[in-house]
Amino acid sequence: MSTVFQTQQLAALNASNGWLTAINEAGKAAFAEAQWPSRKTEAWKYCSLKALADHAFDAAATASTTAEQLAEITQIAGLDAYQLVLVNGQLQAELSSAMALSQVSLFSGADAEQQTLIADRLQQARLQPGHHLFNDLNDAALADGVLVQIGKNSRLDKPLQLVSISTGDNHVVNSRVIVVLETGAELTLIEQFASLANDSSFTNNQTEVLVGDNARFNHYRLNLMESDARFIGTTLVDLQRDANYDSFHLGLGSVLTRNDLIVNHNVGGSHAEIAGVYVPKDSQLVDFHTDIEHRVAHCTSNEVFRGIINDQAKAVFNGRIHIHKDAQKTLAELSNKNLLLTNKAEINTKPELEIYADDVKCAHGATVAQLDNKARFYLQSRGIGEQEAQVMLSFGFINELLDGLKVEAIGDWLRPVLAHRFGRDQVFSAEQTGDL
Amino acid sequence: MNDVVNPAAAELPNQEIHQQIRKEYAAGFISEIESDTLPPGLNEDVVRFISAKKGEPEWMTEWRLKAYRAWLEMVEPDWAHLRYEKPDFQALSYYSAPKSMADGPKSLDEVDPKLLETYDKLGIPLHEQLALAGVAVDAVFDSVSVATTFRDKLAEAGVIFMPISEAVHKHPELVKKYLGTVVPQRDNFYAALNSAVFSDGSFVYIPKGTRCPMELSTYFRINEAKTGQFERTLIICDEGAYVSYLEGCTAPMRDENQLHAAVVELIALDDAEIKYSTVQNWYPGDEEGKGGIYNFVTKRAVAHTNAKISWTQVETGSAVTWKYPSCILKGDNAVGEFYSVALTNNYQQADTGTKMIHLGKNTRSTIISKGISAGKSQNAYRGLVRMNPNAEGARNYTQCDSLLIGDQCGAHTFPYIESRHPSAVVEHEATTSTVSDDQLFLCRQRGIDTEKAVSMIVNGFCKEVFKELPMEFAVEAGKLLEISLEGSVG
Amino acid sequence: MISIKNLHAKVEDKPILKGLNLDIKPGEVHAIMGPNGAGKSTLGNVLAGRDGYEVTEGSVVMNGKEMLELEAEERAREGLFLAFQYPVEIPGVSNLEFLKASVDAVREHQGKPALDSVNFLKTAREKIKSVNLDQSFLKRGVNEGFSGGEKKRNELMQMMMLEPQLCILDETDSGLDIDALQVVANGVNAMRDPNRSFIVVTHYQRLLDYIVPDYVHVLADGKIVKSGGKELALELEEKGYGWLENGEA
Ligand SMILES: Nc1ncnc2c1ncn2[C@@H]1O[C@H](COP(=O)(O)OP(=O)(O)OP(=O)(O)O)[C@@H](O)[C@H]1O
Ligand SMILES: [Mg+2]
Repeated sequence: MSTVFQTQQLAALNASNGWLTAINEAGKAAFAEAQWPSRKTEAWKYCSLKALADHAFDAAATASTTAEQLAEITQIAGLDAYQLVLVNGQLQAELSSAMALSQVSLFSGADAEQQTLIADRLQQARLQPGHHLFNDLNDAALADGVLVQIGKNSRLDKPLQLVSISTGDNHVVNSRVIVVLETGAELTLIEQFASLANDSSFTNNQTEVLVGDNARFNHYRLNLMESDARFIGTTLVDLQRDANYDSFHLGLGSVLTRNDLIVNHNVGGSHAEIAGVYVPKDSQLVDFHTDIEHRVAHCTSNEVFRGIINDQAKAVFNGRIHIHKDAQKTLAELSNKNLLLTNKAEINTKPELEIYADDVKCAHGATVAQLDNKARFYLQSRGIGEQEAQVMLSFGFINELLDGLKVEAIGDWLRPVLAHRFGRDQVFSAEQTGDL
Repeated sequence: MNDVVNPAAAELPNQEIHQQIRKEYAAGFISEIESDTLPPGLNEDVVRFISAKKGEPEWMTEWRLKAYRAWLEMVEPDWAHLRYEKPDFQALSYYSAPKSMADGPKSLDEVDPKLLETYDKLGIPLHEQLALAGVAVDAVFDSVSVATTFRDKLAEAGVIFMPISEAVHKHPELVKKYLGTVVPQRDNFYAALNSAVFSDGSFVYIPKGTRCPMELSTYFRINEAKTGQFERTLIICDEGAYVSYLEGCTAPMRDENQLHAAVVELIALDDAEIKYSTVQNWYPGDEEGKGGIYNFVTKRAVAHTNAKISWTQVETGSAVTWKYPSCILKGDNAVGEFYSVALTNNYQQADTGTKMIHLGKNTRSTIISKGISAGKSQNAYRGLVRMNPNAEGARNYTQCDSLLIGDQCGAHTFPYIESRHPSAVVEHEATTSTVSDDQLFLCRQRGIDTEKAVSMIVNGFCKEVFKELPMEFAVEAGKLLEISLEGSVG
Repeated sequence: MISIKNLHAKVEDKPILKGLNLDIKPGEVHAIMGPNGAGKSTLGNVLAGRDGYEVTEGSVVMNGKEMLELEAEERAREGLFLAFQYPVEIPGVSNLEFLKASVDAVREHQGKPALDSVNFLKTAREKIKSVNLDQSFLKRGVNEGFSGGEKKRNELMQMMMLEPQLCILDETDSGLDIDALQVVANGVNAMRDPNRSFIVVTHYQRLLDYIVPDYVHVLADGKIVKSGGKELALELEEKGYGWLENGEA
């Protein structure tokens, strides 16, 4: 029994040929068969897909935009990075830096060796836990994608900033990114998703990362789309021996923003450090599903997510830690803290532990709370109004995570964006306080 | 006897922890008692038969049939983390009663001595002069209640404590008013089944402002083969009243799995308090995972304004356990508590936890859950804390700890938290730990042998829960853990 | 009291003790010093019978009994006590409960009458006071959340309760301030007895000002490489261990 969305998407698929045919066919078959998620589907229990199901999408993008318009939403002030811009899934060479272009290949231009590598990653991804129908759709529609490959012991001297903008008003973009870091390689990747106001397109993104032995991957995934945008994204991370994954995830919120993050500790010695912030307002929905798979011994992970839910917005956090049978000596921690600002806002959180090894240290915690009354009173006793105090404290709650960001420019840039979201403009600019 | 060493364990690196030995289940004997047992199978006639056997009034028969019809349309649930062979509902017998009970004994002197002996063997003497001081007991054997002690003394205080089958006749207005109000007939698959075929269970009513003068308890015993036990307990604590109630459960060792699908409803009216404790020691199956009870239970309580519900459970038995004693905190300032120790060994599976539904203002709940997994068992905590849009100032604190003994078992935590009020506070913490070699060595270096060391550590782990049990049962619970774990650590 | 002959032991297939000899008579105090990783703690663990240490050669005879054949708890009951370098925490098990189980087991084995709970509590209160810990420590979980110094004093307190024959103190002085050090030394000195012996493992000569040893040994690379009187400790403090390893020993 398929929905209108499914029927439409299947009809829109282009015939495939060439080396991606196998994956296209596998995705198509699975997507055609897939049950549309309901409240009874555990992984989608709190994530309503009405914004997709009740919406008729056009096949292709139409709207056009000017370079200035684009520049405005792609820039992160103060960030020194190599920029790569995709508009509605299409790479825009003229908006991208030459260095960035030289670092990436498109699937469509892949050589034989790269094709093997890509095909292998794509097959791997189909076997991942939590694989869902939108991943199938992505496979079914896959015609092109971006491959970032960093060679043995190499590093890019600046972050790579990959901006995906949706400008069409009503279409579906399936986008795919594969990152491969070879032994000892190092990369900072900033994935930035943006959309134009009133754009009600659906972006279905999938990013797969292989972090090789002793390689380091710093990852920023910033979801800055406007309120009408629909977004479902999956990040798959495979960690090899002594690999290091350090990441920050931001979900600003939209009518539908769903993010899945799956981290596989495949060989001993790897470490994952994951931080995230979500701040939906109005009637937005943000859903983060994270899954840390400790498959082998001697790996560690630490995950911290914080959310502030305003107005009638709804947030979902599902943080799973899965310790497999042989993953002795695992250290894994997860913390999720939430603030509800109104009595129409809603949070559903589930930190899950699934443990099959005994010599491990795991802990998780989740809280839902209101702002600390003592702190609020302290501010009020210094003459700060209640509303203002609330804003300051809410902002402080997530600012702690921004302070920890390694690429400071991102924190500096996000601070006013987020402060503004809570109705407060920053008193001091980053330049003013840079020396503090 | 039965010091069976698991050959697989010898290959494991950490011999200290991995020797698997299992002592005999002490309550595993079978009583040779002649029974009236209904042939296997379930249809409307069986439901009518059970109702007729109890001489029930028309309204009760209809109530059951309604449940039966609802059940027919329901699908048996598939639980994510439980693996077991689903019961064949047509192969079960839905009614079994000792023959000697056919006409119903008028007093303890008329009860079949073999039955009394069974309870003596289990350490629950039913003769009042021998009984635990201050504890009134209702003994349920397969489908019927065989004896209720201290009835007169309770009657003086106005407390009603009797088999539910009897309450249907003697207090129909109370049963009619409350039965199915907390767990509706079509609540879930097993609750619907229970509503259709329940045979007996305990009924308690504590009048307004009364503090029940003694602990009440029910001992459940499944004896007959191929029967399911479907008991129904209904406890009503009227305004300002208090009761402490304890249930205990055992079953003989049998190779085939047996089904136990109970429903417990608690109602605490304004300012009332109900403390409900369970020591569950149904037969868990043997060390190969053969046999044992399927324990699929729906327990739920409603707490009105200023009322308090406290669930305490020590779960060591059953092959498969599925139960979530829950609290609906309906009135303002209502309090819900859940204290649980769930131990699994060998091939046992437990999926247990609680639901705290905060509806009223300033409602408070506390959840302390301690899971111990040993052998090849799987032990999951599954909980829900929901703060509804009116739950202003509500609070929950949850602490959920797991102890793993050996690397063949699993410990899982699935806490669902749903909050819809900005002033509600929910705090959830979970940890896992193991009995480490370093800890055992420290103990042994001080002259304490391994078995004793493990028992000390495990009891220490469960301390916060045991202190919630009535005194006599806390000791019993500690011993039960020791027996259940015996030999799981070399 | 105890005679250790040609002791060889391996950890995870790595030889750590390589032919260690030591003879201790009743009433004697032997100090063992030596560089990090020399095998001092290994010696203590092997004597106490910890799993994971494989004895490949040698014998350990205490009071005429071969210790190497006994389980860890049996050695403890025979009167061998090890004060750990890093005492482990046992959450949930109170110090008092733990001590009672320990004292009961040891006394029973030694044929001494069991202490009733009144006497036991009385003694425990005295002893905890004598190591300068608050009474509340009796109720807390074993070493749970104790500071480093508190753990060491708790070890000493257990030693006093058990009245062992041979006490092995593995760096019981490390990390203690001077007051705590005196508490430990006073405790040990009070327990000195013609029938009780001590092995005191330390890195610091300072301790030996308070607990005056009869002999000082240097353990390096799994063997005793030099033995002497208490003045050897001073020499070591001054010159370090280098001169010994350079062949002078
Ligand atoms: N469980 C173990 N696994 C592997 N190696 C070990 C183990 N225990 C000890 N060792 C090794 O054995 C050697 C001796 O260790 P030991 O702890 O006995 O030294 P020590 O003399 O007490 O040192 P310190 O002065 O630092 O306490 C070291 O190289 C140590 O790394
Ligand atoms: Mg040492």
